[in-house]
Amino acid sequence: MKRYVLRRVALAIPTLFLVSVIVFAMMRLMPGDVATRMVEGHAYAPTLAALRKDLGLDRPVYVQYAEWISGIVLRGDFGNSYWTRQPIWDEFVRRFPVTLELAVLTIIVSVVIGVLVGIVSAVRQDTASDYIGRILAIMALSVPYFGLAVLVVVLPSIYFKWTPVWTYAPLTRDPLENLKIMIVPALVFGVTRAGPIMRIMRSSLLDVLRQEYIRTAWSKGLSERTIVLRHALKNALIPVISLIGLQMPLYIGGSVIIEAIFRLPGVGLFFFEALNKLDYPVVQSVNLIIAAMVVGLNLLIDLSYAFLDPRIRYR
Amino acid sequence: MRFWTRASAIDSRRPVLATSSVGAAVAVAVAVPRTRPWYADVWIQMLRKKPLGTIGGVIVVVMLAAALLADIVVPYGFAQTSLSERFIAMNGAHWLGTDQLGRDLLTRLIYGARISLYVGFGAVLIGCVLATAIGVLSAYFGGRFDLWLQRGVDAWMAFPPLLLLMSIMSLLGPNVWSITAVLGVAFGIQNSRIVRGVALSIKEYTYVESARALGSGHLRITIGHILPNVLPTIIVVATTGLSTVILTEASLSFLGLGVPPPYPTWGGMLSLAGLDHMYQAPWLAIWPAVALSLAVFGFNMLGDALRDLLDPRLKGG
Repeated sequence: MKRYVLRRVALAIPTLFLVSVIVFAMMRLMPGDVATRMVEGHAYAPTLAALRKDLGLDRPVYVQYAEWISGIVLRGDFGNSYWTRQPIWDEFVRRFPVTLELAVLTIIVSVVIGVLVGIVSAVRQDTASDYIGRILAIMALSVPYFGLAVLVVVLPSIYFKWTPVWTYAPLTRDPLENLKIMIVPALVFGVTRAGPIMRIMRSSLLDVLRQEYIRTAWSKGLSERTIVLRHALKNALIPVISLIGLQMPLYIGGSVIIEAIFRLPGVGLFFFEALNKLDYPVVQSVNLIIAAMVVGLNLLIDLSYAFLDPRIRYR
Repeated sequence: MRFWTRASAIDSRRPVLATSSVGAAVAVAVAVPRTRPWYADVWIQMLRKKPLGTIGGVIVVVMLAAALLADIVVPYGFAQTSLSERFIAMNGAHWLGTDQLGRDLLTRLIYGARISLYVGFGAVLIGCVLATAIGVLSAYFGGRFDLWLQRGVDAWMAFPPLLLLMSIMSLLGPNVWSITAVLGVAFGIQNSRIVRGVALSIKEYTYVESARALGSGHLRITIGHILPNVLPTIIVVATTGLSTVILTEASLSFLGLGVPPPYPTWGGMLSLAGLDHMYQAPWLAIWPAVALSLAVFGFNMLGDALRDLLDPRLKGG
């Protein structure tokens, strides 16, 4: 087990190196010039050339790359924003709790809905509740979350005079107020993400319920509740967990849009604002940090199979 | 030869028919000289067994027709403003109402279908060519070439797709051609894995080996022998991928990073820039969302049904 973990971590290193090369090359080789944009907007420096020199953009690309990556590897320094000159890592750490909270709430919402509806659908296969569940899942798959978010922002304010809360309150200062703010975005995002979870929960539970050990459990005279919840569910959850793992990038990508709509000051909004200002260091560092997180999460999820299914052994 | 293989693969998915009586099973097996090509079979199976797929197909056909005939069926131009008719709710002249510049919403939705399909089909076409090239070459040559190419694909897939696409599009600037190309490349790299998997198994078949023994070159084997057998998988990847691509284009346009105005796109019509107007005219938010949902639903259902019928190996998921 230990060796397996070490090998997986070692394999992640070349992947992350390639990730950094891709993101850096992309930012530098494509059109779009931050210096022009900065001079146009505000007079940061007297001339373009002076500003480029100041930002270090006049040096060869490989030197810039070496500086960026060595700062990260040697000093844990992800560079500073071009516009605010503030360290990116500090800003990322400050904003990360918001994004994490949104992601956790979203996953809770989607898993609770998806798993519950999935169980009902599978246990009552081919009944009315099964069809309702499946139709709900298809609807959740079809409605785009940003469309639903816009409708949730617009429609209730017209017809019920209700609006989502716009001013953000940190979780640590005012938990209740914070929850009021986060729950609407999390519900919107979670509901649309519940569709695939429900579908895979249903098919995986149907699969498990047809296995021999379940028949044994029935013949022992156990109740349906015990059989489904204690015997079948644990095995049926494995595909659900791998689905959530696979969809992690979608949760993160979607949080950019959700944060932009609901004005949550998270990493997604940070990234989106940096994009609009062509703030290269922010865009490339945030991309790299998030890609590293995705790689790490996938590893954790692979390892969690061993806990859920004792038959899986790693060497 | 391979057409026959396809058709029989579909036949084998009729266990109910075959077990109903032994005679029927024999009849199905014996009546081999079929006159219908395999793709006609697929559509007939779809109508019989896949009601949702059929509904999806109908939606897709309606959308295609709207996109193709937009210039004929629509009485207004998509950028035709009329300041005296701002924020009109539904009426006889404007079935779905008008927006803040007095532009007809239905007209813009129909032209929006055209843009969605342009970008969707364009990107999927580029993506399929790229996925096939990467997948087949990587599987065929194998070894170190495969290893390094796949590490590159790994690295690409470590990014949340939306983040990467947003980064690229913000650099390139909103533009129909660049978004099509960028979505196509992203789609191609992502799906090259699936093509590679199928190509790997086909590469091991005896007939590929015998082709090599007969002295066929790399080009002949990959294009003449492997490619035709990867084709059904590519069709499945393309149909199931269309909804994702259309949705991604809408997300990017929603953020102002996709197709620029004045072109009407569903994502752009929903976007935050128009939020203030939506409070006055909620239909500006409702109808684009409905159109987008219907399109995604249609392509999803059609894609799922086609996948089940064409390639049972990819079923589920």
